[in-house]
Amino acid sequence: MTNLYSLSLSMADPASRQPRLFVANRGEIALRIIRAAHAIGVETVLGVSSADKDSAAAREAGRSVVLGPAASRDSYLNANLVVHAAISTGCTLLHPGYGFLSERADFAELCAAEGLVFIGPRPETVRAVGDKISAKAVAESAKVPLTPGSGKLESVEHALQVAEEIGYPVITKASAGGGGRGMIVAYDAEDLRRAFDEASTTAREAFGDDTLYLEAYVERARHLEVQLFGDGEGRTVHFGERDCSIQRRYQKMIEEAPAAILSDELRAGLRTAAIDLLASIDYRNAGTVEFLYDELRQKFYFMEVNARIQVEHPVSEQISAHDLIKLQLGLAMGTMTLPEQATIGLNGHAIEARILAEDPERNFMPCPGTITRWVPATGPGVRVDSAVQEGSTVPPYYDSMVAKLIVTGASREQAIDRLSAALRRFEVRGIATNIPLLQAIVDHPDYRANAISTKWLEDVLLPAFQTERPA
Amino acid sequence: MNEEEALNDNNGNTPLPSDDLQAIVEQFNASHWRELELEFHGTKLFLSKNSGASPEWIATRAASVPQSLVAPAAQAAPVAASPSQSGPNLSEGQVVVNAPSLGTFYRSPKPGAAPFAQIGDLVESETELCLIEVMKLFTTLRAGVKGRLVDILVEDGVMVEHDQPLFVIAVDG
Repeated sequence: MTNLYSLSLSMADPASRQPRLFVANRGEIALRIIRAAHAIGVETVLGVSSADKDSAAAREAGRSVVLGPAASRDSYLNANLVVHAAISTGCTLLHPGYGFLSERADFAELCAAEGLVFIGPRPETVRAVGDKISAKAVAESAKVPLTPGSGKLESVEHALQVAEEIGYPVITKASAGGGGRGMIVAYDAEDLRRAFDEASTTAREAFGDDTLYLEAYVERARHLEVQLFGDGEGRTVHFGERDCSIQRRYQKMIEEAPAAILSDELRAGLRTAAIDLLASIDYRNAGTVEFLYDELRQKFYFMEVNARIQVEHPVSEQISAHDLIKLQLGLAMGTMTLPEQATIGLNGHAIEARILAEDPERNFMPCPGTITRWVPATGPGVRVDSAVQEGSTVPPYYDSMVAKLIVTGASREQAIDRLSAALRRFEVRGIATNIPLLQAIVDHPDYRANAISTKWLEDVLLPAFQTERPA
Repeated sequence: MNEEEALNDNNGNTPLPSDDLQAIVEQFNASHWRELELEFHGTKLFLSKNSGASPEWIATRAASVPQSLVAPAAQAAPVAASPSQSGPNLSEGQVVVNAPSLGTFYRSPKPGAAPFAQIGDLVESETELCLIEVMKLFTTLRAGVKGRLVDILVEDGVMVEHDQPLFVIAVDG
């Protein structure tokens, strides 16, 4: 049975309307997008869950509509609800923010089908880079380096030959398996002979298949990423790179720009590789290419593409003096053109610390609740992106990030000094936060000396931090 | 919401206080669990994120829940309203039926057809009151309570938000 109600949706002509933006996110990024839109004369509508009805973003939006109950699945993650709300409220554009629906190709397709401009890459791009295997294929055809490795190993002699080509250390991996079984690091040929036998046996016992392959083992890894924008027609520019190596369980905690570890030559190579990758797929709007940097080999390898704006975009804004959210909106509306690379100057050093409602002294237990005192740091070079204030409630349903503290200095040293001072002045009561841990990180001599890796927080700092402060 | 909730108060024991119940439901919603079954002083609670799921002990009751008679082409499962006693200017004995999610509110099964219900109509718990449409998926909202329809709070064809009051019903008895 055909239902004629479906016709009413297509009656309004999007082109005849003033630009109106639907913000399909929550928290600080929703507020950030709303303010950027208002600053360039774009009306906003925010879709919220019932838990966020009284949020700062809901207050500042031109209008807010309640999508559904608190659970993300029934509100922020429900693509049909979000698109229905956007169309029904007369929106012509949609900004997905980060997380939630931002990297779902089917959502971007749904927006396009309903005449909504999705602020981000084309759906086929989201799909091509969203899957790890196809993303690697894209990188490979753009001649962007991947982690060196072998195909299936035929014998221990084959393994030794591959290892000579790659260079030690190497790691064995089981073709059939995962979970770390069959993974053994070898530092020389003798190690590898032993590792090959042991890994084969483990793989046979665990997976019934003793096929192994070999990869370069990155002993001191950095997480580096390049901030890019594309015009959708092959022209791509960068806004510098970021070092996001301070992580816990693959969650970034501190990000900085530029990556001080890189030589000028490596920096230029990293940026060019990232541009080549996105230019090869006619990338549109904001995106990031992430790399693993091997500090001992001094080589970088492609990890993944993030086809959206990222949490840590402010550090790139601080060193480039560009508002990346406004650029996203302007490019999507056709009111701005992509700046020429030569006009994007990069100056100074910026660091972002993520302030989370988590208690590092109680195994990072999330601490939702009501904020009874909120005095964010202020001062020269200090920026706070946040959607909370005194009296705000941090709901238990979503990500625990309550603020991003971003500092900028002429040098890395000055930025660290400012971050350390800002963290000391940042006062939050009512909920526990990770501020004491952030303070311990930035005041640590290893961090100041930039002698860190992606494992440093978990392997070096946290054990010491937790011993000093017994739970 | 897809959660199916069922409370079964056996033997006249005191059920869980509603605050505790709400806390349990919220914790469940926020968790990665798919299903939760609890028994507490004779009160059985079953929460599930799997649509259509129900425990064995509820099967006998579920059998008496009426099935939708006429389903439009793209219709979601009917939603029985959980009428609320707090709402806009309610008199004694009145309850409000709220929207289960954001969507477009339709008073009749198709354009030009007679409305599901008019002010003054007697309604049963299973009486259909309206359609809520989300991207061409239509959900039938049922009264969820027996009584007389005394007010309709929104215009036909407008977008309503989650939990927005739609109907006022004067409850029987």
